[in-house]
Amino acid sequence: EPTSPARDCALGPARPSPTGDQQGGCTGGSGSDPHSRRPRVPAAARQASQPFRSERCSRRRGCGLQALVDDTEDVSLDFGNEEELAFRKAKIRHPVATFFHLFFRVSAIVTYVGCDWFSKSFVGCFVTVLLLLSFDFWSVKNVTGRLMVGLRWWNQIDEDGKSHWIFEARKVSPDMVAATEAEARVFWLGLIICPMIWIVFFFSSLFSLKLKWLALVIAGISLQAANLYGYVLCKMGGESDVSKITASFLSQTVFQTACPSDFQKPGLEGLEIHKH
Amino acid sequence: MAEAVESPGDPGTTTPRPLMRDLKAVGKKFMHVLYPRKSNTLLRDWDLWGPLILCVTLALMLQRGSVDSEKDGGPQFAEVFVIVWFGAVTITLNSKLLGGNISFFQSLCVLGYCILPLTMALLVCRLVLLAEPGPINFMVRLFVVIIMFAWSIVASTAFLADSQPPNRKALAVYPVFLFYFVISWMILTFTPQ
Repeated sequence: EPTSPARDCALGPARPSPTGDQQGGCTGGSGSDPHSRRPRVPAAARQASQPFRSERCSRRRGCGLQALVDDTEDVSLDFGNEEELAFRKAKIRHPVATFFHLFFRVSAIVTYVGCDWFSKSFVGCFVTVLLLLSFDFWSVKNVTGRLMVGLRWWNQIDEDGKSHWIFEARKVSPDMVAATEAEARVFWLGLIICPMIWIVFFFSSLFSLKLKWLALVIAGISLQAANLYGYVLCKMGGESDVSKITASFLSQTVFQTACPSDFQKPGLEGLEIHKH
Repeated sequence: MAEAVESPGDPGTTTPRPLMRDLKAVGKKFMHVLYPRKSNTLLRDWDLWGPLILCVTLALMLQRGSVDSEKDGGPQFAEVFVIVWFGAVTITLNSKLLGGNISFFQSLCVLGYCILPLTMALLVCRLVLLAEPGPINFMVRLFVVIIMFAWSIVASTAFLADSQPPNRKALAVYPVFLFYFVISWMILTFTPQ
C-alpha cells in the first residue's frame, strides 16, 4: 500500500488546533490515496461528527473529502485525512453542545439568584427557572451526554409492563471519535457542581423561611440529581476499565510514533483510545 | 423520560435524540387523552413533559391578579404545583401499595396527562367569566367543569384500572376521583379579582 505523506500529519506531535475549528489545523501533505483499503462506516454513524464541506477541499489537502460529503451511501473514513485528524485532536469537538450543557444550568442558577433584580414577579421568575431547568434536563440527558462523553441512559417498558432502566457507555471503535479530556472535565464538573448549588439554595430558602421558593428548588434538585445519578450509573458500568484506559492510551502513543503502516490495518487496534 | 424507541444493544451510535420525536410523542399522548381508546401508548413510553406543561398552564391561569406585588399570586401558584405533584405522587404510592403493577413514572404520566380536560375547562371558565356574573354564568361553568371532570376520570381509569387486581379497583380509583375533584373545585371557585 502506498504510504502517503499525509500520514506524517498523524505521526507528528499533537498540534494545538483552534478550538471548534474542525476543518483546519493540519497543513502540508498531499492528497491521500482514495483507493487504498480503509474502514467503511455507514453514513448514519457519521452524524455525530461535523460534515465536511467539499468547497474547502483542494487537491493538496486530501480529496477523499468528495466521498465524505455524500450522505446517502456508505462513506469511507480516511484516517490520513487532515481535517479528520484535526477534529480528533481538537480539545473540544462539540463546542455547541459544551456551551449548551453549561448555559441552561448556569442561567437557571443566575435567574434564581438574581430574580429580585430582574423582575418583582414571583411567577415570572418561577416559570423561567423551571423552563430553563427543563431544557437543561432534556439537553443533558439526550444530547450533551451522548456527544461529549458517549454515555446514555433511558427507561424502557417491555411487553409485560415491567420497567427497565438502561445505562450504556459507548464502546470506542476506530470509527468513532472518543471523548476528549476537556469535554469530559467540563461535562462532569457541570454535572456535579450545579446540584450542589441547588442543595445550598434548598437550605437557604428553608432557613430563611422563603417557603414559596421551596417547590422550585426541590424541582431543580430532582431534575439535576436525576441526570447526575443516571450518568454516574452509566460510568460505573465501565469502571473496571480504568486500567485498560491507561494501557490503551499509552499503547496508542507508542503506535503513532513507531508504526505508520499500521494505520491501514482494518482492525486499527492501535487507535483504541479512552475506552469507557 | 422514557424512550421506547431507543436503539438498545447498539452503544456504538450515541447520536443525540431528536427533539421533534419527543414533541410528537407528547402531542400524541394529548390526543390519546382526548380520545381515550384502549391503547398502551400512554403507559409504554411515558414522559412527564405533558404533565409539566399542563401544571404550569393550570397554575398560571389560576392566579388571582393582585395589586400588591408582594403577594402577586405567589402562594396560589406554588400551591397548584404542590397539589398536583404531591397529589399525583400520593395516588401512585397508594396504587403501588395496593399491589398494582404499574411503575411509578407511568402512573405519574397518566395522572398528569389526564389533567388536560380540566385545563380546557379552566380556559372555558375564564372566557365565561368575562361575561357578566350571575347564576347563569355559574351554571354554565358548573356544567362545563362537571363534564370535564367526568372526562378526566374516565380517561385515567381507562389506563390505570387495568393495572390493579380486580377486587381493588375501587380502592385505587377513589383517590383519583378525589384528586380531580380538588382540581375541579379550584377551577370552579376561581374568580379573578
